[in-house]
Amino acid sequence: MIPGRVVEIENLSFYYGAQRVLNNLSCGFAGHSICAVTGPSGSGKSTLLTTINRLWEEVDGARVEGVVKVLLDNMEIDLHESKIRLAQLRRKVGMVFQIPNPLPMSIYKNLTLPLRMAGIKNRDQQRQRVERVLQDAFLWPEVKMRLQSDARLLSGGQQQRLCIARAMILEPEILLLDEPTSSLDEGAVSEIENLLLNLKERCSLIMVSHDLEQVARIADSSVELVAGSLV
Amino acid sequence: MINRSGSIFSGHTFLLLLTAGCGLLILAVLGFMVFLGRPLFTADFFNLFMSSVWAPDQHLFGILPFVCGTLAIVILSLLIAFPLSLGNAVLINLLLPQLPAKFLYRIVKLMTGIPTVIYGFVGISLLVPFLREWSASGSGMSLLSAALLLALLISPTMILVFVESFTAIPQPHLNAVAALGGNVRHKLIYTLLPGAKNGIMTGLLLAAGRALGDTMIALMVAGNATAMPESLFASVRTLTAHIALVMAADFDSTEFRTIFICGIILYLGTLILTLTLRVFNRNGSKADLERGLS
Repeated sequence: MIPGRVVEIENLSFYYGAQRVLNNLSCGFAGHSICAVTGPSGSGKSTLLTTINRLWEEVDGARVEGVVKVLLDNMEIDLHESKIRLAQLRRKVGMVFQIPNPLPMSIYKNLTLPLRMAGIKNRDQQRQRVERVLQDAFLWPEVKMRLQSDARLLSGGQQQRLCIARAMILEPEILLLDEPTSSLDEGAVSEIENLLLNLKERCSLIMVSHDLEQVARIADSSVELVAGSLV
Repeated sequence: MINRSGSIFSGHTFLLLLTAGCGLLILAVLGFMVFLGRPLFTADFFNLFMSSVWAPDQHLFGILPFVCGTLAIVILSLLIAFPLSLGNAVLINLLLPQLPAKFLYRIVKLMTGIPTVIYGFVGISLLVPFLREWSASGSGMSLLSAALLLALLISPTMILVFVESFTAIPQPHLNAVAALGGNVRHKLIYTLLPGAKNGIMTGLLLAAGRALGDTMIALMVAGNATAMPESLFASVRTLTAHIALVMAADFDSTEFRTIFICGIILYLGTLILTLTLRVFNRNGSKADLERGLS
């Protein structure tokens, strides 16, 4: 792996059934920066992201060829070779989706869900972590009085910041973002962009975006995908 | 009959009449049963019908054992079928790859169409002898054999309703759990079960209705003894089986009239299940509306 990089992809091809989505692709993403993946719809940007946390395995009939290596805890891990547990990987490689996906439960429970699933059951610890990620996501002042209300009552932008907070609560080293602002209005977009810039210190961000202005505003580097190949 | 010129037989009125007719027919059935069972609505009604001894030759017409037999079989079969169906639905929705899942789903669908008498046959020739040997007492025709068989009969209904309500869970919710490192158990606990609460209740109530109304299985494998059900291996008689048995032998006697009381009890039981289902579903969608997300 080239020094400074946290993800290294070599000769990656991806198939949904007989359809080829990624075509013998090689690239890498640097650590503690925002790396953008751009390109037209259907070019395989989101698919590329899901090869890094192996979320593609949730899709029936999907198949992958090639090498994906990630650097976690300063250890180089080959996702297709090593026996890293899926849960372990996904706790270290968080993901935020295009459409905010809070679960139908309270704000507080949404945030403690990853902790509970990871076996962190200490109530005080949970409370502290929730407050910290909400502070980090600039959401604390807005929701501290209503942590027990349904997360789906938040505005779109708030929901997305909640989802980012939820993804950050297990302190991942890599955060995958699949067009995190495309469903939001302008004001919410700039809030999220500020948030992402702040997160650079703590983890490496890989963001799919089709908004080239946004890429110019916040990304440190970018790669462009067209029809499953790098341009 | 359908006429656009505005006569009373316009399409709308016609459909309204048909609907009202169906509604009235259902009420008429109740009225019919009350009317035919009328000689029994006498002062000593409760002595007659709520006693636990059925001995028509001594003029004792206690149908309480049949009410208890019905309840025991329905509840036991639900207890067996519910975890089975839930597991099956999870298998179809989460655990199996697409092709085997589809195959299993098709089989379950097919099972809903098998006449209950077939299950009865299979029960008599396979299950009953097995239970007879296993329990080493009685004929094998028992509360347990009927409940097991009935569980098999009502499971497909439940599985189909469960699968349907699991499928309605938004994929983004499942993705959220998966992307946070959740496994199948987490998906079940945090998304499927809470999201499909209404569907699960609907499936349970529909299955309970089916179990309550089924006649053939109890008639064939429960043994039809007139005593109170005292153990899993006891021979019991359900209300439906009682109706079938008496009807086959008689047509005008006090004994015969008791089947109308049985009919009324079954009718009311089904009615309560249906109304519960209504109330439950309405509350479910109201709660969603209040959250602003229906």
